[in-house]
This record gives sequence, C-alpha cells and structure tokens, in this order.
Amino acid sequence: MDAKKNNAKGSQPSEGKATQMEGPDLETVIQRAQGHDAEALGEIYRLYVRRVFGLCRYMLDSRESAEDATSEVFLKLQRSIESYDGSTPFPRWLLRVTGNQCIDALRRRKRGRRVIVEVEEGVAVTDAASQEPSPLGAVLSTEERAQVRDAIAGLPENYRVPLVLRYYGELSYDEIAQQLGLKRDYVAVLIFRAKQELRRKLGHGSK
Amino acid sequence: MECYSEQIVSIFVDGELGVEEAGRLRDHLSACQRCRQLLDALRAENRALSESLQELPEEAASPAGFPRLRWSLAWGDVAVVAAVLALTSIVAFWIDELSIPEALQWLNPFSASGSTNLFFNLSYYFAHGGSAMVVDYAAVVGKILLVLLLAGSALLLGRRWRVRQLGLRLLIVLLAWSLPGFALERRHSDFVTVRANETVDDTLLAAGNIVRVEGVVNGDLLAFGGTVEVGGTVKGDLVSFAKRTVVSGTVEGNIYDFSNSLDLDGQLGHSIYGLVQSLRVNDQGHVGNGMVVAAGDVSIEGEVHRSVTMFAGNADVSGSIGRELTMTGDSLTLTNTSRIGGNLSARVRDLTNVHIADGATIVGTRDIQVRARESHFRRPRFYFFQAVWLAAAMLVGWLGLVLFPGFFQASTQAVSSGWRSLWLGLGVLAGVPVAIILIAITLVGLPASLMLLAMYLVAIYLAKIWVGAFLGQILLKPAGAAKSDWLMGLLVGLLILTVVGFIPYLGGLVHLGVVCLGLGAFAWQLYRVSRPAITT
Repeated sequence: MDAKKNNAKGSQPSEGKATQMEGPDLETVIQRAQGHDAEALGEIYRLYVRRVFGLCRYMLDSRESAEDATSEVFLKLQRSIESYDGSTPFPRWLLRVTGNQCIDALRRRKRGRRVIVEVEEGVAVTDAASQEPSPLGAVLSTEERAQVRDAIAGLPENYRVPLVLRYYGELSYDEIAQQLGLKRDYVAVLIFRAKQELRRKLGHGSK
Repeated sequence: MECYSEQIVSIFVDGELGVEEAGRLRDHLSACQRCRQLLDALRAENRALSESLQELPEEAASPAGFPRLRWSLAWGDVAVVAAVLALTSIVAFWIDELSIPEALQWLNPFSASGSTNLFFNLSYYFAHGGSAMVVDYAAVVGKILLVLLLAGSALLLGRRWRVRQLGLRLLIVLLAWSLPGFALERRHSDFVTVRANETVDDTLLAAGNIVRVEGVVNGDLLAFGGTVEVGGTVKGDLVSFAKRTVVSGTVEGNIYDFSNSLDLDGQLGHSIYGLVQSLRVNDQGHVGNGMVVAAGDVSIEGEVHRSVTMFAGNADVSGSIGRELTMTGDSLTLTNTSRIGGNLSARVRDLTNVHIADGATIVGTRDIQVRARESHFRRPRFYFFQAVWLAAAMLVGWLGLVLFPGFFQASTQAVSSGWRSLWLGLGVLAGVPVAIILIAITLVGLPASLMLLAMYLVAIYLAKIWVGAFLGQILLKPAGAAKSDWLMGLLVGLLILTVVGFIPYLGGLVHLGVVCLGLGAFAWQLYRVSRPAITT
C-alpha cells in the first residue's frame, strides 16, 4: 500500500515509479494474471487500486464516478491484461489504461464530444517569463500540499486532465496527446498553462 | 546569446524536448546563470506537484472506502443466477412436460391463426386505451417497487455494498422460491374436465383444448385453452387465458380474463378484471363486486353490484349497475331497462354515439364529455396525484442511484445513442411479451415467464426515469456528474415529459418513444454489464 511513497522522491517523474514493486515477483504475478488466475488479479488489485483510484479521482469530479471508473478498469483488466507485453513498466501501462477509461467517462458525459477541444489561437505561446519565485518552488508542508491538490481540483478540465495525467499518471506528452486526440505541441501548451494557472491560484490563495 | 522561453525549459524539464534542441539548451545552460535558475525552479515545481499529487486526498486514504473487488462478487451473482435458473427449469419441467401445443395453438404467435388473433387483439386494445392500461400496470409495479426500495433504504445507511449484495441475492432466491411455492395441481390433455361430483382441493392449473369445470375447485383455477367453461364452482379466483371463457356456474373470487370472449351467465363473488375482445354479462349473470375491463364490445344484461369502469369500443347496458358507470370509448347505449345506481360518466369521441333511452334510470349525475383530456386539468386532485407520481419517481431515481450508481448513470448516458436505443427499445417492447408467452407455453415454464413479466413492467417504469434524467442533463448541462446534478436533471426532465405527455396524440407518441428509448438504453446497458462476466 505504501508503494507509492518512495517514488515520489525521484527528481524526474518520467523515470522511476516502475521499479517500485518487487520486480520478479510482479512479473510472475502479471503472468499468472494473464493466465486468468483470479488470485493474481486480486493481488494486482491490492497493489494498485489506490493509484488507479487516485488518478480517477483527480480526473473525474465525483467520488462515485471515480469509484465506478476504478471498478471498470479492474473489471476490464481481466481481458486487457492479455495485451500487456512488458514493453512499458506495468504501473505506467495500467495508469495509461486508467487514463483512457477516465477520458471515456468524461467523453460520455459530453455525449461523445471530445474532452478537450483544440483552440486555434492556443498554439501560440505566451511567455510570461516569471521573475517572481513560483509558490511551488520550495519544499512544501503537508498543509501546503493539500492546498496544491485543492487548486488542481479547481482547475478547468482542459488544464486539469493533462496535468494530472502527466504528474500523477506520469504519461509522456505523446501518450497524453494520443489519449486526448490532440497534437503533442498543444499538450505541452496546456500543461504549461495549467502550471501558470496553478501558480496564479496559489499565489493569490496563500499569500 | 538569447535565452530560451520558460515553456521550452519547462518541456525540457519534463524530458520531452527533442534530442537536438535539448542538446542546444544544455549548451546554453552551461553559459547562462538565469536559465539555470529557471531550470532549478521548474524542477522544484515539478517535484512539488508530483509530491502533492501522490498524497491522495484523505477520502481515498481509507482502504475501507474503496470499491471492493467486483469480479469475485460478480461471479457469486452469476452462480446464484445460474442456480436459480437451473432450479426454475427443473420446476418448469415438473409443471409441464411441454406437451400441450395442440390445445394452445391459438395463443402461439407463430401459428397462422395465432398471429392474426394476436395482431387484431393487440392493435384493438392499444387503439382503445389498452396502452393506458399497460401504463397503469407499470405504475402499480412502480408503487410496489417504491415500497420495497423504501424498506431497503432504511437498511442501507452505512454499508451499502454489503446490503446491496445481500438484498439482490435474497430477492432472487425469494422470487425463485415463491413462484412455484403454492400448492398446485396440474392437468393437461385435450379435454380437461373436473366432473360434477369431483372436488379439487388445491389450485388447479389446467391446460387443454377444452377446460370444463363441472365440480368444485377449492383453490384458484388457472386455465389455458381454447374454451374454458366453468359450470361448477371455483372458490378462489379464475385466471383464464383462453379463446373463449364461459362462466355459467359460480366463481367466488375474481375473474382475471385475457380472452377473445368472456360470457358470464352465472354468479361471480367479486370482480372482473379483463382484457377481452367481447364481454357479456347475460341476464342471468351476477357480479358481486365491480368490473374493470378493456374490451371491444361490452354488453351488460345482468347485474353488477358495484361500479363498472371500462375502456370499450361499444358498450350496451340493459341490466343494472349498482354504483357508478365510468366509460371511455366510442359508443354507449343505455336501454329502457337499464339502471345505474350512481353517476354516469362517459368520455366519447362523438355525442351522437351516446344513446340513453328515456326509460333508463340514472340515480346520480350524468357527465358525458366528448374530450377526455379537458376534465383532468380542472381537478386539483389531478395535480396532487401528478405531484405524488413525480415525487415517487424522484425517490425511485434517487434510490436507484444510491444502489446502482454506475448502472443508473450509464443507462442515462446510453439514452444518448438515440436511434440505437429507440430501435432496440422498440424491439424489446414488442419482443418481450412474445417471449413471455412463448416461455410460458413451450420453453421453460410459467415461473420464468412471470419473472420476465415483472422485470418487463419494472423496466417500463424505469424507462421514463432514465430518459427524464437524460433530458434534464441535456438542458442543464451540469458541470459535474454528482448525484445532485443527476437528480436535478431528473426532476426537470420528468416535469417536461409529464407536461408533454398531456398533448393530445403527440403526447401518446412521445410516451411510446420515451418508453422505447429507456428500454433500449436499459437493454444495452444490461448487455454491456454482462459482457465481461461472460467472456472470461
């Protein structure tokens, strides 16, 4: 359960994470799960349910829908795990699947329309070279981290979704772009803007 | 040298900058103090973001709050359902060894005469208020459901998942056991006869070309056949699915009749409830209570002790009715000998089709209206009941959402697929009754068909709730998917549907469309939910 703790220290979120589980053990568990071993599937559930639920909770706006999406992910895992080929670390693969599930849920709510629509003027980069230090720069206290989470939860969907996929789900720009049906460059813009917006919120809120 | 923009550095920190550009940036960093500081700040920011996100909100931190492992429980349910189905099929074989098709050909929708009968009867009923009856049935089911859910919700506070599982299984088991639970004697052959000196102590299930009761049945009589004749005595109820039903003896309970024709020459203790082509209460006939029927032709020559409510094409009354006569239909004739002990109220299309002889006695008031709709809106009671109906639907919606949040929301969403839902729903609406009849006759047996019928009526009731919720969502466009949004949408949607439902003609069509859409969404959702469990 405390598996997620240790990887948070890694300086580059794009690395790490995958190695957190006991490597060979995890591999055998996955292989057993691919052979429809219910116990192995249960093991995977116990190991990852919190991470999966966390991503759902950040991406969707109610606890109920996050619970539903989490259940869906693990329900579908019975079949989809067969397609896992080991080319990406399993947790990352699982979070990618989860991201897809959440985007599906968001899309259903929008009755089939895309979750984030690319705006024409969006690709042009506004560069507010921030001279003032980011409120996110320093080491944060527990309380401050909670504030950050609240601020993220308050972001509009088109900022929140890519931001969470990136820094919680640790998906690459390409993976996020593919899931959302956007261009890679636009994902970069959204993530950058999300961080700016977050700074603005936290700057106003805490100081 | 020109500095890089913050966004480029940010992308670099994310490890997403192209190899060449990243190389150039690194070169620049070694020379530029300002950009190095920016890089460090952005790294720290990323770290802070990740750290903050990794600590899940406190609601997620309690393991008890997590959704349980669903597949093991799903398998449990599959096992329970399988056991119930197996049990039902055994019971079904016990009830009937599937050897009665000859006598019931007319009921078989795939036989030539059966299909014409079915077609004409169904179209006639639906044209003359039969659909209103279906809706009424659905409303009754809705009320029962409401009571069940209310009782269940008292238990629900707290451990909803456990209760839900338990409740579901309990319900399934109860359904499975209660249906074949009552004492039953079965008889089937071409001629089923209870002879004059014979007494059947249990409920009698009789199927045959001719079912004739000359003796005494102490329980109920459930009769399927070409002709059902009761010359003796049935102490309980008579439930008849027959081409022709004749009661010349005595039925002490009620008659529930789904026949081409029903003739009552004898004595009936209580009431007639029927969906028949032609209904006659002959001059010897006596109904101890009242009548609620939908019929093509109704002729009352004998005596009905209490009130009569009917949807009828043609109604002739020459006998006596103890209390009110309420009639909706085409034509009404009261002869000189007729007597109505209460009020007469009739809703007809044309006043010239109402003939009331001068000698006819009507003790109460006469209220004959050409347009049925207007009267509703003048009565405060009508608004009261609409409000009650709405509140009940909201409550059912809310409880459904608490009990099956994912399913209810997904069903609401499934409505959005429009034509797919509509056609699927139309198929279900038309197909399930056929399946019910087929199952009752040939496949698995009566209990299964009764379960299916109950599900069917429940689904018709719920259909409006899903479509209402969906409509509300379109109009309100809530930002979230919270329960309160869903319920608010439901309220708005139901209000609109209710109002639209009162538009003449169009309202009926809309109603049909709504039921089809909702049923389709339901069926699709059932299919979706069942899929993963079946494939693995």
